[in-house]
Amino acid sequence: MRTHNNAAWWFAVPAFSLLLLVGLIPIVAVFNFSLFDIFTLEDRYWVGLDWYRELTVSVDLYKALGRSVLFSTLVVLIQFPLGIGIALMMRRGSIQTTAMLMLLAIPLVVPWNMIPIVWTTLVNPDFGVLGQFFGWIGWDFDYKFNALHTWMLILTVDTWHWVGLVAILAYSGRSSIPNAYFHAAVIDGASRRAVFWHIELPKMRAVLLMALLLRVMDSLMIYTEAFAINAGGPNGATTFLSLDLGEDINAFNYGPAAARSVIYFLFVLLLAWNFRRMMQRAEAA
Amino acid sequence: MLPTPYRTGFATLVRYAAFAGLVAFILVPLGQAIVVSFTSTLPRDGIELGDLSLVNYANIFADADLVASLGNSILYVSVNVALTLAVSLPAAYGLSRFTFVGDKHLMLLLLAFRLTPPVVLSLPVFLLFAQLNMLNNPIGIALVHCLFNIPIAIWILESFVSAVPKEFDETAFLDGHSLPGFFFGYLIPAIGPGIGVTCFFCFVFSWVEVVFARILTSTGGKPITMAIDSLFGFNTDIGLVMAMTVFSLLPGVLLIFFVRNHIAKGFQLRA
Repeated sequence: MRTHNNAAWWFAVPAFSLLLLVGLIPIVAVFNFSLFDIFTLEDRYWVGLDWYRELTVSVDLYKALGRSVLFSTLVVLIQFPLGIGIALMMRRGSIQTTAMLMLLAIPLVVPWNMIPIVWTTLVNPDFGVLGQFFGWIGWDFDYKFNALHTWMLILTVDTWHWVGLVAILAYSGRSSIPNAYFHAAVIDGASRRAVFWHIELPKMRAVLLMALLLRVMDSLMIYTEAFAINAGGPNGATTFLSLDLGEDINAFNYGPAAARSVIYFLFVLLLAWNFRRMMQRAEAA
Repeated sequence: MLPTPYRTGFATLVRYAAFAGLVAFILVPLGQAIVVSFTSTLPRDGIELGDLSLVNYANIFADADLVASLGNSILYVSVNVALTLAVSLPAAYGLSRFTFVGDKHLMLLLLAFRLTPPVVLSLPVFLLFAQLNMLNNPIGIALVHCLFNIPIAIWILESFVSAVPKEFDETAFLDGHSLPGFFFGYLIPAIGPGIGVTCFFCFVFSWVEVVFARILTSTGGKPITMAIDSLFGFNTDIGLVMAMTVFSLLPGVLLIFFVRNHIAKGFQLRA
C-alpha cells in the first residue's frame, strides 16, 4: 500500500522542472501569442479573442475536424481488431512469439519522415514492387489525384506503422492473465468466444484503453506522414487538423497558429481528463 | 496459451497463413528500401543505371554532412535517454510508493504532455530555444524530446517499481543504505529489464520524431532524419536516400534484439 507523504514531491521535482521548461512555458507562451496580431515579435498588436472568434466560425476548421475524426475512427476500426487478433494468436513464451514481437516493433523504429518515402517508393508505378503489381493487375492506383486512393495509402501506411504497438500492448495485457483462468474456462466448457469476451477482453481493458488513447490522439493529429504523402490533397481531401496548423506556422501567421494551438491543446487536455476517469472506473469495476 | 481443446488443425493453418501475411506486410516495404539502397539510381561513370552496387553507401561516407548527421543523431538520442531516465526514475519511485498532494494532477499533466502533438508547441519551443541559444544544437533536441519521453518513462518504470515489494526498500534502509545507495545498489539492479525497456521506448520515440528536430536544426546540427530530407531536390538520388534510411534503422533494430524478451512487459497500468 502507498503511504501518504508530501515530501515525496521531491522525487518528482527533477522531472517536473524539465517538463516546466519544455512544456508549460511554451504553452503559456502560445496562449500569450494567441491574443496578438504578430508581424515580428517586437511589433505586435493586442487583438484579444479575435483569432478565436475567427476560427470558431471557420468552415475549414470543422471540415478538417470532420476528416480527422473520420480518419481516427477508421484507424481504430482497422488497427484494434487486427492488433488484438495478432496478440491472441501469439502463445506466451514461445520462440515464434518473441520473433513476432521483434517484427512488430520494427516499423516503430523507422523515422517518421522516412515512412512516407519508403511507401511512396513502394507504390511508384515505375520501379515500386507494389506499384508494378497494381499495373500488372490493371489497377490504376493514383494517390496524388484520387482522394480515395490517398486515404487508402495513408491508412495503410498508418496501420503498417502502428499496428505493432497495439499488438504489443494487447499481448502484454493478455500475458498478465493467470493460466488458472483458462483452465477454469475449459472445465466449465466455455467456448473460445466466451473466453475472449469474459476473460481476455476484461483483463486487457486497462492496457487497451491506453493503446486506444495513444492511437486516437496520434491519429487525430497526424502530420508528418499525411503531409509528406500528398500535402493535404487532392483538393484538401486529406487536410487534417495538424496540417492546417502546420500551414499557418509555415506562413508565419503566428497569431492564428497560436490560437489554433491553444484550441488543440484544450482538446487534448479534455480527452486526457476523460480518459483518466474511464481508467479509474475500469479499475473500480 | 490456451489449453488444447481450443486448438485444431484448421486453426493452426489459419494462424500460420495470418502470420505469413503479417510478415510480408511489415517486411516488403523495408525489403524494397534495402534493395534500392544497393542499387545505383543516378547515371554514373562505370556503373549502369539500376546495377547492384555499394556506391550509395560509399557516398554516405564521402559526404561530411551525412557522416556528421549520424553523430548528431546518436548524440542527441543518448543525451535524451540519459536525461529522461535520470529524472524519471525518482519520479516513478515516488509515485509508486507514496501518495502526495497533487499526485493525480501530476499524472494528468504527464498524460497531457505525452498526447500534445509537437506541431502545437513547435513555434514557442523554437522561440524559447532561440533565446536560450540552443538552436542548431543536438542538445536542444534532446531537451525538447523529454516532453513526451518523461511521461512514457515514468509510466513504464512505475509499473516495474510497483512490482518490487515495499519490504525490499525497508530492508535496504534498515541495512543503513542512503537513498542514492538504495537506488544504485538495490532498486536499479532489481528493475534492470524495466530500465532496458524504458531505454528502448525513449530511444524509439526520440529517434523517429521529426517535427521538433526540423524546427530546431534549420541550418546546422542536423540529425539523420533532417539530413535525409535535405537530400531531396531537383535530381534526387533515391538510392542514397534509401541507404541513409537503412542506416537510420540499424540502431533501432539492434535495440529491439536486446530487449526482445522484455518488450511486452511493463505496461501494467494504474490510473
